[in-house]
Amino acid sequence: MTIEAAAEVPATRSIALTISPWAVLKWVVAICVAIVAVFPIWWMINVVFSEPGTPVSLNPRLYPTSLGAGFDKIMMIMRETDYLKAYYVSIAYSLLTIVGVLLIGSMAAFEFALFNFPGKRLMFAVVMLSLMVPTAVTIIPTYLLTADLGWLNTMQGLVVPGLASAFGLFMLIQFMKTLPREMLEAARLDGASHFQLYRYIALPLSKNALVTLAILTFMKTWGNFIWPLIVAPNPELYTVGQVVGLFNSPYSHQTVDVVMTANLLAALPPLVFFLIFQRKIVEGIAMSGSKG
Amino acid sequence: MIAKKHMPHYMMVLPFMLLFAVFFLYPIASGFFYSFHDWNATTTTRFVGLDNYTRIIGSRDFKKAMWNLATYIVITVPLGILVAFCLALLVDSFKGTWSNIFRSAFFMPVVLPAFLAATVWRWIYTPNFGLLNMVLGWFGLPSLNFLNDTGSMLYALIAVDVWVSAGFNMVIILAGLKNIPTDVYEAARLDGASPLQQVRYVTVPMLYPVLFFVTTYGVISALQVFDVPWLLTGSSFASYGGRSNALMFPVMDMMGRGFGSLKFGQASAYGFILTAIIVLFTAAMFVFRKKGYDQ
Repeated sequence: MTIEAAAEVPATRSIALTISPWAVLKWVVAICVAIVAVFPIWWMINVVFSEPGTPVSLNPRLYPTSLGAGFDKIMMIMRETDYLKAYYVSIAYSLLTIVGVLLIGSMAAFEFALFNFPGKRLMFAVVMLSLMVPTAVTIIPTYLLTADLGWLNTMQGLVVPGLASAFGLFMLIQFMKTLPREMLEAARLDGASHFQLYRYIALPLSKNALVTLAILTFMKTWGNFIWPLIVAPNPELYTVGQVVGLFNSPYSHQTVDVVMTANLLAALPPLVFFLIFQRKIVEGIAMSGSKG
Repeated sequence: MIAKKHMPHYMMVLPFMLLFAVFFLYPIASGFFYSFHDWNATTTTRFVGLDNYTRIIGSRDFKKAMWNLATYIVITVPLGILVAFCLALLVDSFKGTWSNIFRSAFFMPVVLPAFLAATVWRWIYTPNFGLLNMVLGWFGLPSLNFLNDTGSMLYALIAVDVWVSAGFNMVIILAGLKNIPTDVYEAARLDGASPLQQVRYVTVPMLYPVLFFVTTYGVISALQVFDVPWLLTGSSFASYGGRSNALMFPVMDMMGRGFGSLKFGQASAYGFILTAIIVLFTAAMFVFRKKGYDQ
């Protein structure tokens, strides 16, 4: 070993002039961290797309070996469990939440950002204070209220309590503050009604912020575990998160193949979203931090 | 007259403010009311004064949950931010495509819902045939039961948590790094500052507001940790917290009192105890921040 290393010295010396040990270390660390970050996800994919049977200790599943086996497992889960129904519930829950949050949030943000009216400052202050209140305080009483309304195990019970998103409102206000007021003024002089200003000027111009908020809302709703867990305990209304929880519970006695297939199906929508909208997601999160 | 003139404004904010009042303000008020009552969803409510609060604070589960929480926060938040900070510097030191590739890779765990991170890691931690034990086996180390050994459970949770949150904080810190003007570094370099000194005397002070945000946000979300420890342990209201409650946390304890034992009065009181802690902490952070600025 030492002889080999010694023999290589003349060859590497010229490179060493341009590549410092720091740069090498940097690359090594970056690649190692990337492996740690991505490997669990990669591993999940490999477990699904490989022949079942061999224990992980014998075959650690470092790469996928059988595409067919993977699709068989996916078909099996779709056929034999209520996964498809859970998918439908989660998609409906996410879409309705996105539409609701965007609609009522943009209407309120339009007013808060661009107009003055009595009571505005107070309303704004109360909503912003709520950003500091942890979900932990409100979750039990909100559940009790939802139960009183008779909304347990209903789609409206899942969706409606989460629509007044203070975070979404804050984000849209920040964006709408930058809209050109001259344009609104010109449209008003042309006879546009107040609602038309919102519908035909503010909304189209805020497309970027709305898309970012939609994506962040999707991620949050798709990943929401605790609220569906308590508000919709009926299997008819299980979300993907709850089904995944069942597959993974210590008493489910499922094999790792089946569990990882369930996990992969749950991970697919956010991962696809990430690949398409990566820049928007990163910008949205960075923006939420810049208010600090 | 004034009301009529401003009517369109009120109509536009009405849907938001109405839902906000019904599903946010009212629950806070009703929760406050329940917290002084004995109520289990079937019998009539009975005023019990501070009983709910004293019962919680006196209970063994609460003490255990608070102790776990304190240990968890003291390790997770600084470690998570240190990792995120180093990752941000690392990504920032690459140029162009590679910078983007590494950023995407480091960020990927954030995209997974927390429930998935927990369930995937649960299998990585599995005794005997789990991935991590396999790696330990390569080095001739004995198999460990990470999620059932009271000595390692908390650290197993922290590893998952750092894995999930590092990318999130990294993105925020990266945005902050981009806002630091390059001529500041230039000046520091001309003054003979080493790269390490540049980080210490330029990057960290310039990032102060951003670091303040990620710390505050990190502690507030850590105080409410639920999904991951829930899914790493029994994941049902009949069984949670793991062996000798080594992974029992306040929100789990609260949810268990509510939905496991149907003591909704106690669960509401629990929420207010948690809020009090969060408010105290946030206030302390802001005082601390002001001091930091005054220096």
